[in-house]
Amino acid sequence: MSYSGKSVKRLYDDKFVTGRSTYVDDLKINALYAAFVRSNYAHAVIKRVHKEDALKMSGVVTVYTGEELNRVIKEGIGPWTTYIDPRPWKIPKWRFAQGEVKYAGEPVAVVLATDKYRARDAAEAITVDYEPVDAVVSMEEAKKDKVLVHKELGTNYGYKNDFVAGNPEKALESADHRKKVEIGNRRLIPSPMEPRGIVASYDGSNLSVWYSTQIPHFARAEFSRIFGIPQSRIRVVMPDVGGGFGSKAHIIPEELAVIASSMMLGKPVRWTATRTEEMMATNSRHNVFRGEIGFNNDGTLVAINGTLEVELGAYLTYTEGIQPTIIPLMIPGPYRVRDLKIESRAIYTNTIPITMYRGASRPEATFIIERLMSTVADELKLDDVTVRERNLVREDQMPYTNPFGLKYDTGDYLTLLREGVKILEYNSMKEWARKEREKGKRVGVGLAYYLEICGFGPWEYAETRVTEDGGVIVAIGGTPHGQGTETAIAQLVADELQVPIERVKVIWGDSDAIPAGTGTYGSRTVSIAGSAAVTASRQVLEKMRRVAARAMKADVEEIEYKNGEFVHKREGKKMRWEEVSRLGYSGKEPGLSASVTLEGDVTFPYGIHMAIVEVDEYGMARVKEYRAYDDIGRVINPALAEGQIHGGGTQAVGQALYELAVINENGQLAVTYADYYVPTAVESPKFKSYFAEKYHPSPYLTKTKGVGEAALIVGPAVIVRALEDATGGKFDFTPVIPEEILKKMK
Amino acid sequence: MKVEPDQKVRINVKVNGVLHEAEVEPRKLLVDFLRDDLGLTGTKVGCDTTTCGACTILLDGRSVKSCTLLAVQAHGREITTIEGLSSDSKLSPVQEAFKDNFALQCGFCTAGMIVQATFLLSQKKDMTEEEIRDSIHGNICRCTGYQNIVNAIMDASRRMKA
Repeated sequence: MSYSGKSVKRLYDDKFVTGRSTYVDDLKINALYAAFVRSNYAHAVIKRVHKEDALKMSGVVTVYTGEELNRVIKEGIGPWTTYIDPRPWKIPKWRFAQGEVKYAGEPVAVVLATDKYRARDAAEAITVDYEPVDAVVSMEEAKKDKVLVHKELGTNYGYKNDFVAGNPEKALESADHRKKVEIGNRRLIPSPMEPRGIVASYDGSNLSVWYSTQIPHFARAEFSRIFGIPQSRIRVVMPDVGGGFGSKAHIIPEELAVIASSMMLGKPVRWTATRTEEMMATNSRHNVFRGEIGFNNDGTLVAINGTLEVELGAYLTYTEGIQPTIIPLMIPGPYRVRDLKIESRAIYTNTIPITMYRGASRPEATFIIERLMSTVADELKLDDVTVRERNLVREDQMPYTNPFGLKYDTGDYLTLLREGVKILEYNSMKEWARKEREKGKRVGVGLAYYLEICGFGPWEYAETRVTEDGGVIVAIGGTPHGQGTETAIAQLVADELQVPIERVKVIWGDSDAIPAGTGTYGSRTVSIAGSAAVTASRQVLEKMRRVAARAMKADVEEIEYKNGEFVHKREGKKMRWEEVSRLGYSGKEPGLSASVTLEGDVTFPYGIHMAIVEVDEYGMARVKEYRAYDDIGRVINPALAEGQIHGGGTQAVGQALYELAVINENGQLAVTYADYYVPTAVESPKFKSYFAEKYHPSPYLTKTKGVGEAALIVGPAVIVRALEDATGGKFDFTPVIPEEILKKMK
Repeated sequence: MKVEPDQKVRINVKVNGVLHEAEVEPRKLLVDFLRDDLGLTGTKVGCDTTTCGACTILLDGRSVKSCTLLAVQAHGREITTIEGLSSDSKLSPVQEAFKDNFALQCGFCTAGMIVQATFLLSQKKDMTEEEIRDSIHGNICRCTGYQNIVNAIMDASRRMKA
């Protein structure tokens, strides 16, 4: 019996296909509804909030502003200190707006009413007197430090740090060629289909929060810090969550206002974001790299020297601090370049705060280094494969320590490149596209390579319980929200315990039921939560062997477990799994459960992806096909892994071609799906996804590396390269919108 | 009919075979009537602007987006929601096909997607992949990249012919 390696069907799909799923807005809880009054100004002093008319309306319970809410919201939203060292940062205090608003869309008051229609009516009846002050909404302007987002910081720069390795100036001087470059990603909106939502209920002693989140345990810790309530008295429950993509791993003032309102009113309070509110709750990306590279005639890249600027928006969110610290480390990617200087800068602007988004730092770094590889290829008139062949880290250098000290664990990058070129039929498709272009079509083929850092420790929790009747409950600190990793983990545990998978139930996302946890992000769940679950299962099995040994009056070493039976090796006596399970709860044994917090570290999957892009006469580009060949370590469930390539690849289509959050002094102009273009089935490509059979394992017990982000990490570079092939233009910023394509079409 | 401010309107709607008599505010959206008044939370709200399709239901057998209809517009009509597609806990061919083809991830678009697919297959059994893609372009999925959804609908079509 072996489940791992097979495309086992997802265990809990019935509720989704029959309408019995329960997302936070589906919860039947008798609660007041919250609605928010939002700033029309990017930067203004709040003179007065006129609540009177709203308070007279039927169903309206009360209206709170920052003055009231911040008595309960004691501490501000801060960075995720598990991954971000706050010391080099300049961080403004971020609570509910009080006295001043810092971006258009920032909430300035919350209405609590008996139903959501009345709450929204009342929010519209509230007028606010503002005194507008100078705002700075572009990163270029903000860099001048003329208009400050936060006066008290004295600068718009939140972070400045230079990442230096080797001697880039000298390497540039001795290079055969030098070239100036400018590469970047513009702002986008992650857009999970389920908008954010929260229900808070404070009953006088304990706070319960039902929350559309990826990180219930971190949320508990943050709520504890912010509201001054011990973690033991806070329960955070993550119901079904309709996608996150990294954007549901940060906390926003609206959510704090809901909790604060519940505490002040002594009543449950709920809020579900409208799509417009969701689009204003989370923006992502926006980074620019400007600098110079040096390369030699043979195509080897020898130096990178430049400045990386990352926009923060008006405040430092829980997750955005990751980007300016991880992007530089990953710019060398899978290549041997060792002389680099990356001046990393993070900049506040009067715009919607920015958060991480699927891939978080690795898409940015990969876009930069892959654009650089393509630039070298174009300058030297070499093909993309040759340039990468000449730069990839060699197998005999593994494990390889990159110039910034990251240790790449396992892999054979060159072999994968060569295999990938064959499996994806790169050369023949490239030739096909050339012939199509001769016939007048605008079609192109492009590829890019990626090395990903994922897994991210520092630890994860798992517990395996065997019930009295021999069932198995696996409680994990990971928090699947669509990936299906609960099924993969059930496969691992069923194999480890040699029991039918039907017996295994995986639970997560309730801080009272699962004592500790980190969560699902960074392509880590199967590796770190899976390895923790396997470890806990081994420990439970060991306990069961001891129970069986006592029952059979044997030493534990004499008991062997196999396929549901505990066998006394010497005497041949046997006990069935169910008998031992029941004995575990006889009053003589301590019960059958084991929990672990398993330490973990980063691991490095890699791969090569290819796209076929077609452009029409109006500059509208379509990705017709997307092909992927990845070494993600051992693959536990191929269908689930492929699903991640499909989903990430489609988000890559959006990032490369369509998705742009336009912002000006009046705020964000993309506030519905009519003006923000998420790919539909029509714009989405056909996918072919392959995984390396001779994989390179991670150090995790599961031998897995991770696949959740791969296609969005490399996809934008792949698609842009294919677009260049199709049009003959050069594009260094995502998204490449039709107007820009049209200008460069030949 | 003239309705005064704050006056409610009586409607009769058959939902999943059950007749409901209710008093609703004229402005109440059909999706809120289904979710908040009848407790049929299988139908989701993803965008409020008729773009994403998470709220797709069948109104007299035709697929509509219930976020852009008023509850009063359903008066005297018949509605099928995702909860009404399976009977006696037996899944419909479309529901089975979605499960078997890994056609869902987070599940939030799934109800709308399955209702839309059910409608399509009631209109035409043999659709090309391109036709299917075109016919679900009003239902946004952010997780799956659509390929497995398209496969599931083609698979369901085969199952319904079998």
